[in-house]
Amino acid sequence: MKLEDFRQKQAEKAASQEELRRALESEFQIIGRRLRRTDGLAKATGRAVYTDDISLPGMLHGKILRSPHPHARIVSIDVSAALELEGVHAIITGSDMPVPYGIIPWTRDEYPLCVDKVRHVGDGVAAVAAVDEESAERAIGLIDVEYEVLPYHLDPEAALEDPDTPIHEPRRPGENGNVSKHVHLEFGEVDRLLAESDVIVEGEYYFEGTTHTPIEPHCAIAHFDPGGKLTVWSATQVPHYLHRELARVLDIDVAKVRVVQPPVGGAFGGKSEPFDLEFCVAKLAMITGRPVKILYTREEVFYAHRGRHPMLMRYKTGASKDGRIEAVDARTILDGGGYSSFGLVTTYYSGQLITAPYQMQSYRFDSTRVYTNKPCCGPKRGHGSVQPRFAIEVQLDKIAESLQMDPIELRRRNLLGTDTRTVNEFRVISNGFPQCLEAVERASSWRDKYRKLPYGRGVGVAGSCYISGTNYPIYPNEMPQSAVQLQVDRSGRVAVFCGASEIGQGSDSMLAYIVSEELGVPIDYVRIQSADTDLTPVDLGAYSSRVTFMCGNACIDAARKIKRQVRDAVAEAWGCRPQHVALAGGWAFDRSDTERKLPISEAFNLAEAKFGALGSMGSYNTPKDIHGDYRGGTIGSSPAYSFTAHVAEVSVDPETGFVEVGKIWIAHDCGRALNPILVEGQMEGSAYMGFAEAIMEAHVFKDSGLHNAPSLLDYKIPTSLDTPELESLIIESLDPEGPYGAKEAGEGPLHPSIPAIANAIYDAVGVRMDRLPFTPPRVWAALRERGRLEAAGQLTPWKERSAISQLTAVGD
Amino acid sequence: MLRLHPYEYHRPRELEAALELLKEHAGDVMPIAGGTDLVPNMKHRLFAPGHLVALKGLPELHGIVERQGEIVLGAAESLSSLADHHLVRSHLPSLARAAGAIAHPMIRNQATLGGNICLDTRCTYYNQTFFWREALGFCLKKDGDVCHVVRGGTRCVAAHSADTPPILMALGAKVDTASPEGVRSVELDEFFIADGIWNTQRKPDEIVTRLRVPLPSPGLRTSYQKLRERRSVDFPLLSLALAVGLDGDDRVESIALVVAALGAKPRRIGGLETLAKGERLHDELIEEIARQAYRQSNPLDNIIVDIEWRRAMVPVFVRRAIREALARP
Amino acid sequence: MRCWERPLIEIIRLSVNGDSHEIGVPSHYTLLETLRYVLGLTGSKQGCDKGDCGACTVLLDGLPTLSCILPVQEAIGRQVTTIEGLADPDGPHALQDALDLTGGAQCGFCTPGILMSAAALLNVNSSPTRQEIREALSGNLCRCTGYTKIYEAVELAARALREQRPPAEVLRS
Ligand SMILES: Cc1cc2nc3c(=O)[nH]c(=O)nc-3n(C[C@H](O)[C@H](O)[C@H](O)COP(=O)(O)OP(=O)(O)OC[C@H]3O[C@@H](n4cnc5c(N)ncnc54)[C@H](O)[C@@H]3O)c2cc1C
Ligand code: SF4
Ligand code: FES
Ligand code: FES
Repeated sequence: MKLEDFRQKQAEKAASQEELRRALESEFQIIGRRLRRTDGLAKATGRAVYTDDISLPGMLHGKILRSPHPHARIVSIDVSAALELEGVHAIITGSDMPVPYGIIPWTRDEYPLCVDKVRHVGDGVAAVAAVDEESAERAIGLIDVEYEVLPYHLDPEAALEDPDTPIHEPRRPGENGNVSKHVHLEFGEVDRLLAESDVIVEGEYYFEGTTHTPIEPHCAIAHFDPGGKLTVWSATQVPHYLHRELARVLDIDVAKVRVVQPPVGGAFGGKSEPFDLEFCVAKLAMITGRPVKILYTREEVFYAHRGRHPMLMRYKTGASKDGRIEAVDARTILDGGGYSSFGLVTTYYSGQLITAPYQMQSYRFDSTRVYTNKPCCGPKRGHGSVQPRFAIEVQLDKIAESLQMDPIELRRRNLLGTDTRTVNEFRVISNGFPQCLEAVERASSWRDKYRKLPYGRGVGVAGSCYISGTNYPIYPNEMPQSAVQLQVDRSGRVAVFCGASEIGQGSDSMLAYIVSEELGVPIDYVRIQSADTDLTPVDLGAYSSRVTFMCGNACIDAARKIKRQVRDAVAEAWGCRPQHVALAGGWAFDRSDTERKLPISEAFNLAEAKFGALGSMGSYNTPKDIHGDYRGGTIGSSPAYSFTAHVAEVSVDPETGFVEVGKIWIAHDCGRALNPILVEGQMEGSAYMGFAEAIMEAHVFKDSGLHNAPSLLDYKIPTSLDTPELESLIIESLDPEGPYGAKEAGEGPLHPSIPAIANAIYDAVGVRMDRLPFTPPRVWAALRERGRLEAAGQLTPWKERSAISQLTAVGD
Repeated sequence: MLRLHPYEYHRPRELEAALELLKEHAGDVMPIAGGTDLVPNMKHRLFAPGHLVALKGLPELHGIVERQGEIVLGAAESLSSLADHHLVRSHLPSLARAAGAIAHPMIRNQATLGGNICLDTRCTYYNQTFFWREALGFCLKKDGDVCHVVRGGTRCVAAHSADTPPILMALGAKVDTASPEGVRSVELDEFFIADGIWNTQRKPDEIVTRLRVPLPSPGLRTSYQKLRERRSVDFPLLSLALAVGLDGDDRVESIALVVAALGAKPRRIGGLETLAKGERLHDELIEEIARQAYRQSNPLDNIIVDIEWRRAMVPVFVRRAIREALARP
Repeated sequence: MRCWERPLIEIIRLSVNGDSHEIGVPSHYTLLETLRYVLGLTGSKQGCDKGDCGACTVLLDGLPTLSCILPVQEAIGRQVTTIEGLADPDGPHALQDALDLTGGAQCGFCTPGILMSAAALLNVNSSPTRQEIREALSGNLCRCTGYTKIYEAVELAARALREQRPPAEVLRS
């Protein structure tokens, strides 16, 4: 085909005159529109290739032998019988990789396979590579491990009080080996302000552990080539950290390790650090010279866990009689499970992340993370702050009740505002929380419902705030947090290389929208190559809601560099000023005369002729001086914060205790919605997940230390018939530092679901559910207790509540 | 993945041939229908027969017909065809509801009525992987010699967890079976025995061929109630079936109430005929029936949901069942 | 234990997405193992491998069926349709297109199973209500979306099929 012919074809597809004229009038062509994802059709047609869909020639299959004991010393391991089995190629144990690892460099306390001790049922002890999965499984059955069984702890408070049964050796002599992390911080005069408060509400809350349950189980494949290069494909959300840890643990040159992350079938924080299978496939591939795959069973996913920490939270909140929050005093115990994982950060987050969206006059928290002999807890969507958010929002509901004030009004009286600092000195710039509150209040017809619905039905409100990434990376360094590389072909095709992890949240699509917006190419001219450490510049990974903010900014940076060159080159050809050249709809055109235009590929060619090969690098790094200078002041500080408010409407069956959540209204300030469909998808998915934790999920254990029910039948996640109607209300506060003003939407909108439901249950039937989850037996028991008190005349029957509550006038 | 053990899969085309296979491989063979219970159980290494005899291809086990005052239900009919069949819907609406409340749509397409009747009992210490069971220590029902539910117990009390038997029992159904020894027919009530290890009197080589349900009299009112955590997928935490015959004057002629998901066998609540016969179902009587049912129902920790609550739901469900039965013709 | 003895290999003929395959499979394979690891049809996913999640749903003679607990022999002589067989050569099935338009696939791992259940529904019910859609999908767990955008996709596809128009056009109108 001659060059001119294909140009002709492109011109036919590109925007019409009419569309170009309209383009001049609007700020954005792509951003803010309801567009398809870049990977939607591949997923909908079954063509997306996930890790377990990959099969390499000569590939072996691996299995990991796991500990049946919650706590034991490994005395000896005999693999001889297993090695003799036909089809077995290699067996490794802890001594093959005796290098501790951990996502946080200061708390490396795990080994790829246990070296001296096992710390929970399911801890990895040995791994086999064999010709097929059946042989590998048979082989692990022949490995003989002698254990010296040790006393174990499942309850964090008991573990705390028993330093003589240390789950880990104390870091310093004399310390309690069962304390994983302790943080105590105080801001303002908590004791004085508590003493002066008009009302004080005290509560003890318990957040049951929950786990991520992505539908895709973890899977990894390794290939070791004769030249000594290791390639690992893994369903991970942190290819960069995996890259580093693989090299460190296996002691190979990091430049000779490649990590490739195929599409991930759900993660939610559950794939955000290295796991035993990744080290095992790598080591086994190095030993056998053959590719090796390990796919977790669903049961193993439950043992890998890293889910939400169970937290016991004791809160004391003081308020003035006009509803001002004077003091918050929190003591929290976090049940960490067997290892550290992100625990150091979780411990800080459990206190640091609740100082918005409300102004607090003073605040103190004391959080202790304790080791127990259970699978390790870590970051789950809304890392560290979903639990205390539950506590504080229920506390506020109780304060509102004792002040006879509408709980939305109470929240309004404590708004933090914009361009300000929180009590713990985080910088907050944009803040759409007031609009969020208003949106849910209006959409839910709150004023017609609160304390007015018939007995058994109720509404509840809650708010929250979350980070858009963290200002500091996990390992200290001065380099950018995210980088994007662009390369432009003469055809107009733009390739985007970025280390970011597409885990379903839509990060690949986000990059394509930005490139399309900036360079004026149709979205299907943009190719995304993400998360391959051989090809893509570093992005730190899909965690702490950082990707849109950081990659998005890096991508804009890269795209604008090319845009500048293209406009310069076109302007030169036309003899006009570069500012007059616009790129949109597949054209480079003259703003003052839309008839003067070039197909975008021709514009790129002009730029290439003028400047040489067209490509660019862009990066983003966070501001560093926007937090207090106390120890720990950096943890939880973010370039921008998202805000959310929910109203949940429930009906409670007083005979059975079943809580039916009919609807959740979700208002979320995401800064700017780059694609509202994707934002709504995150809001709905988050609210769903919060609802699930509120009503049914419980990651719990039998006394023996065994997981209660490691299956998708017994660990309850909601079906379509259980899930409430979800209504998304997007609020855009336009953050000055976000890409086009965007912040985050992936985690923030989960937080208020749980307390909003708890508060709605109270509105419906008058019982406070301070322990999660709100299962029918628990609600039923609480109702029975209330019934007893009502019968004894100690409480006014809740059925008459609307008559008894005299709310402060709302709004005005 | 959870790999299955190697076995030979036989697909006989007639009942005779199936019985022959069961005889030939006695001790190392199991029938399989939809496989929705057996396959997960095999993946958990609860069963590992060297031979499976598939029943779905046997014409003798198919068909839903009305014959000689009975609705005859082929054992290999799927739960979805049972739930959707016009004869079942019109004559046995509560059975249609029970079948339609099982598991989820895909399982109902695969699973059979016969498999539901022969469903293995369930227990939180049993329906687990081999690794899990070994880590805890095997129990009486499989590979071990203790019970984790009743400490020191010598009998397995795993829960009967199938949804169709309670209502079939309340309706007075009979089970037809065939084995190399011949055919027989037993009352469904007697078919079940209180042994969690093997809770029916079916011999390993015996095939359930049909269920026969007497055509209900015009005055028979029924209801099926299922307690579960989620509205789909889940097994019952408690199930309750009611069939009450009323005369022209709305007085009770017969009453059957069956409660299941407690122990190994569905429990028929006793003493109700004496209590209710000839009476109208007024509030006090309903309360008395609810009390009786409560007294006779004792959920166990074989299911991991609070037993006090599950027991307390018995009277709630009795009331709901009666109300529903009375409201529906 | 006898279960570890060498497997028997059976030669069977399977009809998948209209193609007839003669293949040798270990006799203890499920349909899912056969699709993914023998035929290389990796569109059907595995999330639990024992009937609890619906990721492996395929159509067997048009009925949604869990391939992870279906002995492969049960598919002999029947028409198996997987996600790869839903589209035709001219383009995606209306459901696939609609799901893409509404954003109903996030991680996409439940998607093949969801779409097979939805396709079976639309085959028998051309204008399902929201409640009927919820019922039909009640064995397919999705952990990402909260289901809302999936319902929207099924509704959109149903309308597109009824009106014989592309989903994108229906959405615009
Ligand atoms: C996720 C999930 C949820 C479930 N939820 C429910 C539920 O809510 N309620 C419920 O009742 N069940 C439930 N089940 C269990 C099961 O699906 C059903 O009970 C089903 O009816 C079993 O029938 P089947 O044909 O698949 O049985 P199979 O698995 O084929 O067989 C079950 C047992 O019965 C024997 N058998 C089967 N047919 C015959 C026959 N005709 N004669 C003699 N023996 C026979 C088999 O040898 C085997 O021991 C669930 C299963 C799963 C995986
Ligand atoms: S009831 Fe006891 S013996 Fe029976 S399965 Fe459960 S633990 Fe085992
Ligand atoms: S993989 Fe088949 S139901 Fe989960
Ligand atoms: S889209 Fe991820 S599980 Fe449904």
